Amino acid sequence: MTETTPSARQPGVTRQRCSRCVLSAPFPNIKFDDEGVCNFCRDEVGARSDDTAIDRGRVRVMDLLAAQKARKATYDAVLCNSGGKDSSYTLKLAVEKYGLTVLSFTLDNGFVAPAARDNIHRVVDALGVDHITVRPALNVFKPVVRAASLLPIYGEQSLTRISAGCNACISLVNTTALRLALEKDIPFILAGFTLGQIPANGIVYRNHYRFLAESREASMARLRDAVGEEVDRLYEVPDSVIDRAPAYPYNINLLCLESLTEAQILAEVGKLGWKLPSGLDGCSSNCMLNTFNNYVHQRRHGYSPYELELSHLVRKRLMTRSEALAKLADQPLEQLPYLVKSLALSPEDLATLGLLADGQVAG
Amino acid sequence: MNADQVAERARILEGLVTFVTRSFMVEASAIDLDRSLIDQGIIDSFGLMEITTFIENAFGAKIQEQDMTREAFGSMNKMATFVCRRKSGEI
Repeated sequence: MTETTPSARQPGVTRQRCSRCVLSAPFPNIKFDDEGVCNFCRDEVGARSDDTAIDRGRVRVMDLLAAQKARKATYDAVLCNSGGKDSSYTLKLAVEKYGLTVLSFTLDNGFVAPAARDNIHRVVDALGVDHITVRPALNVFKPVVRAASLLPIYGEQSLTRISAGCNACISLVNTTALRLALEKDIPFILAGFTLGQIPANGIVYRNHYRFLAESREASMARLRDAVGEEVDRLYEVPDSVIDRAPAYPYNINLLCLESLTEAQILAEVGKLGWKLPSGLDGCSSNCMLNTFNNYVHQRRHGYSPYELELSHLVRKRLMTRSEALAKLADQPLEQLPYLVKSLALSPEDLATLGLLADGQVAG
Repeated sequence: MNADQVAERARILEGLVTFVTRSFMVEASAIDLDRSLIDQGIIDSFGLMEITTFIENAFGAKIQEQDMTREAFGSMNKMATFVCRRKSGEI
């Protein structure tokens, strides 16, 4: 059995999609059997391995948080709060389920939906949490997004779960959260990632910054070539901050330890005053730039960067396949002209990204 | 390395390759075992953190901060050797 859906890269063209999840033919390393089911759905060994990693992650998280109880600290954790439903629910978990004192932090990349900003304020107020916003210099950040969209800044294989533009932003979120944690001696960094967005072995890990920085030096060099030396100001943690910190913090993804449907998450954050923003794409509840980043990823790779995450939710029966397909299809492309103008993309950029050929924007 | 250590190292390398192929959607044949996974574009720096967690969980090899070097993690072969030596108490 072969099921086909419209191609993300070539409008009007159909391509095969797994009949059980939503992974499509251009996804790396995918194979379909006679029933049209992909090898990721058939990988029972991998699923068991994930379950084991989750169980180990849970034990590790509980041990770390229990040890923190004995420690007097202004903040137990800094939480990366995008204003979306997942990070809002993670904040609720951190405060109400785990009893942590949290510093909520939002990176305002210039594209946070106004409704998401309102949600952030309502949720932190409802939970009684301190909150700060960091807005990077947009005259540097926007060229970074442009470069990530146009050039091979990041390894192709590392972009199966995330678009290049989102990767540039999330890297900045992670670096800024780490700097805050080191400056304020906060032992944990929390984020609202779900399984599917990150592998099961990424639930908890120690943030060895210098090693991480050394490891990503090649991509930083490419970014420096494209944008300029000022990218270091965004993505580097000064030695003086690292040297005076007693230890690197742990990154913990609490939401990966839960099994919840989107409806359940929306119901819980709704009690805190969180409201579903309108006008965003089906895979984001906070960032307007997601529409552009997804479009670019689909043009370049032929599949949505959300296919893996949504497929995981479908396999775990936390979302139906039709719900996942509806999310993938929900793309407010009419916002592209505003987004490309805001990013100051040139006609050559638009041609390279395929926006002119698709008729999404005028040259 | 004696014969047992060679066999153990091969088992560890096989486990690492299986993990990387499953987690990062890459064919085993596409991995150069002597080059950095990051340099090959297979993982990003946080992927490396995921691999260290996998190593601790799957092989029981504790990884300290000072272990986080290219010498130990600069390729799949280096990782396998590092884990083997750590498990044997050599380092």
